[in-house]
Amino acid sequence: MCGVSERFGFPAIAGLLLLAVLLACGGESENGGRPETGDEPGDTASARAGGDTSVDNRTSFAFEQPAENLSDENLERHLEGDVEFGNVFVTAPAPVNPGLGPLFNNVSCESCHIKNGRGHPVFRDPRLRSNALVLISDPDGEPDVPGGNPLVEGLGGQIQDHAVFGVRPEAEVSLIWEEIPGRYPDGSRYSLRKPVLDITLSDGSSLGENIQVSMRLPLPIIGLGLLEAVTEETLLGLSDPDDSDGDGISGRPNMVWNRVTASTEIGRFGRKAGSPDLRTQTARAYTEDMGVSNPALPAGDEETDITEEQLDLTTFYVQTLAVPLRAETDDSDAARGERIFSDIGCSSCHVPTLRTGEHPVGEVSNQTIRPFTDLLLHDMGEGLADGRPDFLATGREWRTPSLWGIGLTERLLVTPNFLHDGRARTLEEAILWHGGEAEGVVNRFRNLPRDQRESLMKFLNTL
Amino acid sequence: MEATAINNYVDDVVIATYADLREKATALRVAVERLSSSRTQANLDAAKAAWVASRIPWEQSEAWLFGPVDSSGYDPALDTWPVNRTDLDAVLNSGDSLTEEYISGLDPELKGFHTAEYLLYAFQLDRLQERQLSYLTGTAKDIESTAIALHNSWTAGDNPYGQVMKGAGNNSVYPSQTSALEQMIEGMSTILVEVGTGKIADPYDERDTELVESQFSFNSRADFAHDIVGVLNVWKGCRVGANGPNLQGRTCTGTGLDDVVRASDSALATRVETEINDAIDKILAISQPFRDAITDPDQSDEIEAAQAAIAKVDATLKGSGGVLELIRR
Repeated sequence: MCGVSERFGFPAIAGLLLLAVLLACGGESENGGRPETGDEPGDTASARAGGDTSVDNRTSFAFEQPAENLSDENLERHLEGDVEFGNVFVTAPAPVNPGLGPLFNNVSCESCHIKNGRGHPVFRDPRLRSNALVLISDPDGEPDVPGGNPLVEGLGGQIQDHAVFGVRPEAEVSLIWEEIPGRYPDGSRYSLRKPVLDITLSDGSSLGENIQVSMRLPLPIIGLGLLEAVTEETLLGLSDPDDSDGDGISGRPNMVWNRVTASTEIGRFGRKAGSPDLRTQTARAYTEDMGVSNPALPAGDEETDITEEQLDLTTFYVQTLAVPLRAETDDSDAARGERIFSDIGCSSCHVPTLRTGEHPVGEVSNQTIRPFTDLLLHDMGEGLADGRPDFLATGREWRTPSLWGIGLTERLLVTPNFLHDGRARTLEEAILWHGGEAEGVVNRFRNLPRDQRESLMKFLNTL
Repeated sequence: MEATAINNYVDDVVIATYADLREKATALRVAVERLSSSRTQANLDAAKAAWVASRIPWEQSEAWLFGPVDSSGYDPALDTWPVNRTDLDAVLNSGDSLTEEYISGLDPELKGFHTAEYLLYAFQLDRLQERQLSYLTGTAKDIESTAIALHNSWTAGDNPYGQVMKGAGNNSVYPSQTSALEQMIEGMSTILVEVGTGKIADPYDERDTELVESQFSFNSRADFAHDIVGVLNVWKGCRVGANGPNLQGRTCTGTGLDDVVRASDSALATRVETEINDAIDKILAISQPFRDAITDPDQSDEIEAAQAAIAKVDATLKGSGGVLELIRR
């Protein structure tokens, strides 16, 4: 059997050994554990992207809906979690929501995850504050957990560019975009942009030359409970680290340290799958992004800023958000686009259909879902590389992001932004940035006639 | 008729309300400047009245919390709650020069409507010293510039959001007119749910007065009522009067969602309007101020009746046999 039967209690080194076994397993797996999809483009099953959690809502509020199948009791809990997710923290002491900072990036979950989707690539905007953030590592530093990122002395692993009054933020981050013109083989032109960061520390100095820097934009939070419920066996089955099937696509799981269980586990959340589960991811966001201490990551011996129940409610909220139904369309172009998506190889990593297993939240268990991800790490080439490893993920590897709901991005935000740092202004730009393992796929895309490229976009807009 | 309803929504409801907000924000800034230059009780009362007046179009505009208002952060800049009172006190006690530029550079929980409210209402006249007044003036200027930017986001520039919505059916944001109508209905629903299960329920369920929004001004009940007036405006495709203690004159003429629905189900159209008006009336039946009502056992029936009336509107919009279903047919 290829799988992780023991999740708890083994030390890091055992985790790494286990990983070696698991990776070997992935290579030997006969069908890669790839589920039989069975459904055809446009059929009703495929419209239900989130299985029974799917909600019939494709408005700007589509990402803020409770899972359609929640029990009354769980719906109430979800709504309580919604309040926690929206809570704006302020400087202690305060009668309501004390605990902000002293260092932070933003003041509430939804201040960055605007409408539960992506934010904007902005720093110190007087209205949006910082939606994006900068992660840092010092290759000569020490990690705070086994196998983790080596921290930068005095700064940690993330730059907090905001602070409560009277405290200096760690740095001022400014961002400019560099435009890179390009041209399709058919002659049509495009322009890509990439971010150039200028980081000035509070003492006026710059980061050391050797410090690795990675800018990040928030990810949408829909369907995360479903992704948490996908079994490890499924993910390991999808992995093909040595590309034994020779399709040019490898894909491997990240293996990360879980502070709560004090063990190494498969990573699934975050741009490089650096978090093992949603509670850890949520706890880290409270601590790192808002400076709000919590029982999973207490700052010391003192009372934490939020209670265990608050952390659990927020986690439950992100576990139980619905995925919007795919757009119904009789547009034959969109159907053609879906075939192209598969034919040119996008679906090798953006795996359309997965099956969830058992999960403590019954509503996300045992669902057939269409997230368009394998949750695995892939080499995306030099163009997208951030040069900052995260556990096993190299500086060129990124976790395949889900695509469900991506067609609604323009409805949620007036100016949409895609990819890890928001550099892509359109889905077309996002595709053109793919490299590394996706090089062949992108070349096939670039060589498509314009009308077929447009069909592909129409398909993506139905997601 | 769908196209007319969408056009009227954009011009006569959304943009008209934002234009009103912009005007009232300017009036607030003028009143605060007058108070700042002459610290009299009359000027303080006038500034408070200007603040209350500015809340009316803002709350009504919460019936469409989508588009630039979220995307560009105008909502947090105007309406972040709670106020960061610890930092606000620290700023006031610091030696920092409280210029307009300084204030506008502060984070949203240190400016906007609720910071202005705190400064106007939580201090007696004699405690409103020069620093408080400078801060208040900077805040009022920032509110005004945000309101102007919000109005412009729907009306001006390369691709104003008003044009995007009016272009429903011809762009990727709103691929059909139905998608724009759905967006309008979902906007109504979102604020109904927010008022019923958030703004009213959060403090009421906990019996916690600290959780009440607009608590310094005792304006909470009016805030809630005008949220629902915003819903009525969207429904009717025009802005109703809604003045005086009972918000009388809730009529106006224009082609709206109501007419789209009436064309195939006039009973449903009538029912929605009756239910929206009932929700407003039930909110106004809660005793003033709301922060006291939540701890008064005699007010439980009124509060829960208001919540039920609000929920009923939402059910009629989105439930089986309701408006959304009809729009999609």
